[in-house]
Amino acid sequence: MRHPRLAATAAALAVVAVMTAGCTPSAEGPGPAEGPVPGTLRVLASSELSDMKDVLERVREDTGITVRPTYMGTLDAVDLLAKGGAKDAYDALWLSSNDYLRLEPAAARQVVSETPVMSSPLAIGVRTATVRRLGWRPADVTWTDVEEAVRDDGLTYGMTDPSRSHSGFSTLVSVASALSGAQSALTDADVRRAAPELRRFFGGQQLTSGSSGWLAAAYDRRGDVDALLNYESVLASRKDLTVIRPRDGVLTADYPLSSLASSGREAREDVRRLAGALRAPAVQKLITDRTLRRPVVPSVPPAAGLDTARRRELPFPGSRSVADGLLDSYENELRRPSRTVYVLDTSGSMREDGRLDRLKKALTGLTGDFREREEVTLMPFGSAVKSVRTHVVRPEDPRTGLDAIRRDTRALTAEGDTAIYTSLRKAYAHLGADRDTFTSIVLMTDGENTRGAGPAEFDRFHARLSGAERRIPVFPILFGDSDRDELAHLAELTGGRLFDAQKGSLDGAFREIRGYQ
Amino acid sequence: MPALFPRAGRWGLAAQFPAPLKSQAVAGGPVWYWDGVVTRCSSGVGRNVEFREHAPGVRRIIAIVLAVFLIGGVAAAVVAGREEQDSSTATKTVRAVIGSEKAEFFADPDVVEALAARGYTVETETSGSWAMEGLDLKGYDFAFPSSQAPAGELAAKYGVRQPLPRPFYSPLVVVAHRSAAEVLAGNGLASLGGKGNGTLKMGAYLKAAGDDRTWQQLKGAQKHGELSGTLFISTTDPTSSNSGALYLAAASYVADGGRVADGAAAVGRTAPLMRKLISVQGSQQTSTDAAFRDFVSGVGNPLVLVYESQVASLLGRGQDAGDLVVLYPDTTANSDHTVVPLTDEGRALGELLGTDEELRKLAVRHGFRPQGVATEFAAATAAHTAYLDQKLTGVRQAPVPASGVLHDMARRART
Repeated sequence: MRHPRLAATAAALAVVAVMTAGCTPSAEGPGPAEGPVPGTLRVLASSELSDMKDVLERVREDTGITVRPTYMGTLDAVDLLAKGGAKDAYDALWLSSNDYLRLEPAAARQVVSETPVMSSPLAIGVRTATVRRLGWRPADVTWTDVEEAVRDDGLTYGMTDPSRSHSGFSTLVSVASALSGAQSALTDADVRRAAPELRRFFGGQQLTSGSSGWLAAAYDRRGDVDALLNYESVLASRKDLTVIRPRDGVLTADYPLSSLASSGREAREDVRRLAGALRAPAVQKLITDRTLRRPVVPSVPPAAGLDTARRRELPFPGSRSVADGLLDSYENELRRPSRTVYVLDTSGSMREDGRLDRLKKALTGLTGDFREREEVTLMPFGSAVKSVRTHVVRPEDPRTGLDAIRRDTRALTAEGDTAIYTSLRKAYAHLGADRDTFTSIVLMTDGENTRGAGPAEFDRFHARLSGAERRIPVFPILFGDSDRDELAHLAELTGGRLFDAQKGSLDGAFREIRGYQ
Repeated sequence: MPALFPRAGRWGLAAQFPAPLKSQAVAGGPVWYWDGVVTRCSSGVGRNVEFREHAPGVRRIIAIVLAVFLIGGVAAAVVAGREEQDSSTATKTVRAVIGSEKAEFFADPDVVEALAARGYTVETETSGSWAMEGLDLKGYDFAFPSSQAPAGELAAKYGVRQPLPRPFYSPLVVVAHRSAAEVLAGNGLASLGGKGNGTLKMGAYLKAAGDDRTWQQLKGAQKHGELSGTLFISTTDPTSSNSGALYLAAASYVADGGRVADGAAAVGRTAPLMRKLISVQGSQQTSTDAAFRDFVSGVGNPLVLVYESQVASLLGRGQDAGDLVVLYPDTTANSDHTVVPLTDEGRALGELLGTDEELRKLAVRHGFRPQGVATEFAAATAAHTAYLDQKLTGVRQAPVPASGVLHDMARRART
């Protein structure tokens, strides 16, 4: 007799693995609180579908069905589904792809039927001047050419974080498949074999982001990055980029509108009608013209400018272990490591409302998410910086570094005034100029600046920084009574992004920032 | 033998996944399997897949996660609506568990109306064909899996008298884009007939797959940028979906020199090749419906295994087939939609589906071939002979292994 028990246990373990995988709920994407409304579909949708407003308005006119989207990253949405969080809260699911979902049985079981609505292949958008400098003919470029350009010509690019964004994960799978020479679905052995090439490839990554929108903004701000990796539709909307679909194959997002087992049959019938309306030729034309995604009915041609030559579709990994192994390699071995200074307000006011305890809990929770090779500096401050403690998560002994971070976190005490800007200056001095890591500063404060340098002084300090130092973004977290305008200005000035822990949770904000580090 | 099915009480209390593993010390060891619990449309509450223990005497092992679908019930909804308007017509309500590919048929308002005119309201709930034998079918009038093997198992389990009504069937075919079909033909792997159909030579294809042949190694592929990487046919997951399992049935039959796998030894002989056919694909769709839609959308692998009924239904609706070519494998498996009657009403309805001319016509509209009356399918698809091979010339039907053997084959191919 065979051993079905093994198969069953493996399946059970796979689910346990999911619970511990690095997908975190978005701090800004709470589920809708209201119950079902006839004629209105509550749709859990990938963030990038926010560009479908006009199309959905048109469909509402055609069908009377109103779509109420809640945007969330694909991987977070899969996580939510797997934990049963979509039940009764959503009538349909609309992700950029269900590939990742299928690897997660608990989430896949919730999907009844899926209808692809449009498609967009992964691509690389390269500055037109760079294409000329490299002597590339866009139709012929392969992933190997890109890797060689990184190695020999210093090509740099930005991409989204594969642990948080499906475009990032698609990039990772495409690159790993191509550079390993895998002719079929990727295996662990392929990833191991291609590690040297992959490390070189990811050495060219200068920008990382938890969202496509911030990535594009950071790219514009930097001005010295050559390329962006994202879906064709995102890249084709930019005039300054030549869009290349590498000849050796890519993954394609097919945006399946999926109905859910937990919703009522009226809702499922509405989802079916909505899918039909979205695939009507007139709507398909509107979709491709407005969003630069490709139509999925043969009678409608893609928008002008989208190259119609067919490309090989790379297979998506067939098992959770390969997908997670790939993510794990990327985070811990292949990508450039990150160096982060956590500038933490531990002034007297942090004693109120258990704020200090919440901070300690959030930081301690974060230690499960730090990557190998990552350098973490804790810089608690009150009237001045209280201490500067730097820990590295060493691959040969990750626990020591993580334990030290937890120990220092436990030892935090709340007292003193609030010297935000003086402390920030110290953080910049600590990081210095460094091109081999992703450097950033996280600023958590629960109040206004009451000590030391003021905002104007900090602006002048920032203007005097070297070019490399000015690229270090500050990610401020709104918490307690902190001043939104002041922190928003800081994010704007440094090219960071503001995270809101007044509305969302402090844990959520810290975790969401991980996508940008 | 202990009761095959636990009490109805568990239906309201499906264990959360993963459920704790329970074990019992018995000779031969405990046997575990996944129990796909049917989902009830009328209540609209999805139920979880549950883990439970099987009696040691029972040899059927279902160590697979079974897909349970919920598409059905639309038919019931429509009927309910109609009943309100026309309460004078008294209809008998018949409850069925059906394969998901027939959900659209039962949801078709014309089908609902035709059934109502004959005195039936059919309430359907959908489930993977292979999941049905793990369900408690008490209270249902018939089960309607998409092939004979699971139907036979169900009939044996419930002591249903033979013959079982088999109103319609559909062969498995491979859909290809024109470029891919031509390259296959140019390399002796296929032959092309009309504008949109041809024959896939299974022996040659399996040899190529066994040799890890890539598209780049085939003459003429260079002209088509999309044709690179390992040559393979995309299928659904054979552990949860009928078409994926039938693909292995046909492939193993050819690979083993025309022998039907009859046990562990036979499964072992073809296991390395079957494993290759599945593992190269990476992530697989769980339903043939989604796989076909992706293909028609121009996304994904150039070769995809689907039911002929899906292609016929698409053509029948007048939809644009693009550069679709239908390749009929020279050895294929048929999806024999077989009714397993559990009550007299169930048997009557199952027979009606095959004998009633209007219902047969409606089945043809959904692309199915009525059993025994080739002319009706031929007449309805006369406009589409460029794509459909009405007479299935030169297409041999591979016998399907017994359910347990096929399960074993699918499981070994996936691990």
